[in-house]
Amino acid sequence: MTGRRIAKRMEKMKRRLCSGLLLCICVCLFMPMKSVLASSKEAGEEGSGERDVQTVTLRVSNWEEYIDLGGWDEEETIDLDSGDIIGENSMIEDFEEWYYKTYGIKVKVEYSTFGTNEDLYNMLTLGDTYDLVCPSEYMIMKLMAEDQVVPLSEDFFDTRDNNNYYINGVSPYIKSIFEENEIQGRYWSDYAAGYMWGITGIVYNPQVVSEEEASSWKILNDPKYHRQITIKDNVRDSYFAAMGAVKSGLLTSEEFLNDPDYKKNLEKEMNDTSRKTLAEVQDYLQDVKNNAYSFETDSGKADMITGKAVINLQWSGDGVYTLDQADEDDFTLAFAVPEEATNIYFDGWVMLKNGINGDAAKQHAAEAFINFNSRADNVIRNMYYVGYTSVISGGEDRRIFEYADWCYGAEESEEEVSEYDVGYFFSKDKEGKDYVITAPADQVYRQLFAQYPTEEAISRSALMTYFDEEQNQAINQMWINIRCYNIHDVPVWAWAAAGAVVFVLAAFTIRALKKR
Amino acid sequence: MHKYRFSRKSLGVPYALFLLIFVAAPLFVLIYYAFTNGRGQFTLQNLTGFFSDPNTLGTLFYSFGIAFATTVVCLLLAYPTAYVLAASRLRAKSVLIMIFIMPMWINFSLRITALKEILTWLEGSLAYHPFLNTVLGMSYDFLPFMILPIYTTISKLDGALLEAAKDLGAGDAQAFLRVTLPLSLPGVISGVSMVFLPAMTNYVVLDMLYNSTYIMGSLIGSYFSAYNWHGGSMIALILLGIICLFTLLTGGMEEENTRGGALL
Repeated sequence: MTGRRIAKRMEKMKRRLCSGLLLCICVCLFMPMKSVLASSKEAGEEGSGERDVQTVTLRVSNWEEYIDLGGWDEEETIDLDSGDIIGENSMIEDFEEWYYKTYGIKVKVEYSTFGTNEDLYNMLTLGDTYDLVCPSEYMIMKLMAEDQVVPLSEDFFDTRDNNNYYINGVSPYIKSIFEENEIQGRYWSDYAAGYMWGITGIVYNPQVVSEEEASSWKILNDPKYHRQITIKDNVRDSYFAAMGAVKSGLLTSEEFLNDPDYKKNLEKEMNDTSRKTLAEVQDYLQDVKNNAYSFETDSGKADMITGKAVINLQWSGDGVYTLDQADEDDFTLAFAVPEEATNIYFDGWVMLKNGINGDAAKQHAAEAFINFNSRADNVIRNMYYVGYTSVISGGEDRRIFEYADWCYGAEESEEEVSEYDVGYFFSKDKEGKDYVITAPADQVYRQLFAQYPTEEAISRSALMTYFDEEQNQAINQMWINIRCYNIHDVPVWAWAAAGAVVFVLAAFTIRALKKR
Repeated sequence: MHKYRFSRKSLGVPYALFLLIFVAAPLFVLIYYAFTNGRGQFTLQNLTGFFSDPNTLGTLFYSFGIAFATTVVCLLLAYPTAYVLAASRLRAKSVLIMIFIMPMWINFSLRITALKEILTWLEGSLAYHPFLNTVLGMSYDFLPFMILPIYTTISKLDGALLEAAKDLGAGDAQAFLRVTLPLSLPGVISGVSMVFLPAMTNYVVLDMLYNSTYIMGSLIGSYFSAYNWHGGSMIALILLGIICLFTLLTGGMEEENTRGGALL
């Protein structure tokens, strides 16, 4: 069924492009008219009073392209056995309507987007105010450490309230991670509600690279694939991968793996910022830079599909996208999770102090926004639109599992199939005979694997926490050391050439001035 | 209160306001950040830091290298083109010029993407010659900025001067070297300043052509994403200083040359 999903996606792309153009034209034509109309309307309403005071404004900032904006075609309908799901309006409009229907209060969502966690942080520092934002886990930790966030209310965790879709639907696996991790004695779960999650891994071309090779971070500086490897242009991801390679021996040793405190030790190793490790990582990444095709911000996906690169350090969500796109060109790519460790990451909702500012109505709307986006049908809409994996498993509501099966389950005609167990994510007791997808055999190391990694792969996952100012500075300095051209490396001939140029220019200038 | 009178000066108000809000005010913010530390105290450490860090100095050197090579390539391509264009007696001259300006109408990232494919086809993989690719990309991008000013100055040259030179016994080559070349220098200088300075900071070209080494623009960006606004601002300020110095020098020469032309 993956084929069907892809074809629909293509259609959607085209449609989005057309409707985008159309919208531009319409806006250009009607904007002036509309504003005239609106102002006259406002003037009319101004007198009519008290009711409007009830309107709550909610300022939300999220990643770009990270929520369903609606407008699906009829053909895009996700036809689950339990009913059809389709995104007609944007999630934001739907939320406003739902909130009014459910709580009788009007809410106006001011939705904006950001590009990177650092951009968001800089925007906040510059004085932009938001009520609800969706950064990654390390930025959530930073905001928590700086006391910038408001804890979620008790009502939010009340499982008896049927409108509390988050607490009733969040995956038990993710929930336990949020409950176990703390910063300065405060637990994540008290402040943050997850949205999407994923792990880092390697997208590779199975015709050139074997699965075994792709299963170690050490492949990133493998001279065999000279100039065919791309790496995320992002210090945290590169640092994690490089540590995996540098510490490969330790991380895969029997002793380390069988230690009862394995998980704890792993997390400690993968958050190591000691001077020795930094130096080793710098050497390793220098090798990687000299051997790789390039560091990439966004071109990595396309370069895998066109075959310019055969190995790409990638986030699982984008991995799914890359594999989907490649399938369209009848080009097969695969996804691997290195045996040393993988970085598990989350994007989650937090409420900001200077936005909420003690306003209970606002906080209620913010929490309702999280809940609405955690309702099974909305989760499916967002996942379909965005391509990442939601932290919501649905609880009693089986539709999210049904959706995974709809995406990846094998057709009856399929010859080679595998039983793929995702029980750890969907069920509380982990004994999930109920949560097994019968998938085409190759999905075990392709999209399904990237979307819902196996429990075995997840067992090697480690969180990368936020670094304090000192560590952050050391890591960024290491990154600059790798990326910059060091003045000591300038060869003699270059100095000579520079000298000659300066001399000629100086002579020329002096002559010109003398003439005067 | 006397009555408001519309004068010619009032026409300058919108631009003056624009300058104030979008140029002058941010500049003060920049200076403030460049000379303070995280706690808001005055410091010169950002300045001394810049000149004692082998990475920033190396990046400055590398950026100069790219900008210089780009300028030379542009100049070598643009001067003959502009000369031929200006000297040709074709009636369809404007069409010809159009052909050279047309690339400017196409979005630059689109052009670089096209170049990327061409270079990949020629070189096999872009990864082997990052410096060369960057220079080619920048030249492709900035070439029209070099052609136009040179073309304008040459086409404005008084033909009588060349005839006079020939009358006085100068050959073609001599007439070019002694008359046309010196008189076209103002065009060359403004072309150079329009190519050299942007080439030092346009890191998008490097990103798109897979050059993983930082230039000044990307270095500033990396400081900002590490929340080090102070260091980043200082680099921006130093670049601004270099630009000012450059403009002063070339401005002086340009003035000299126009005067020389008048004397001749």
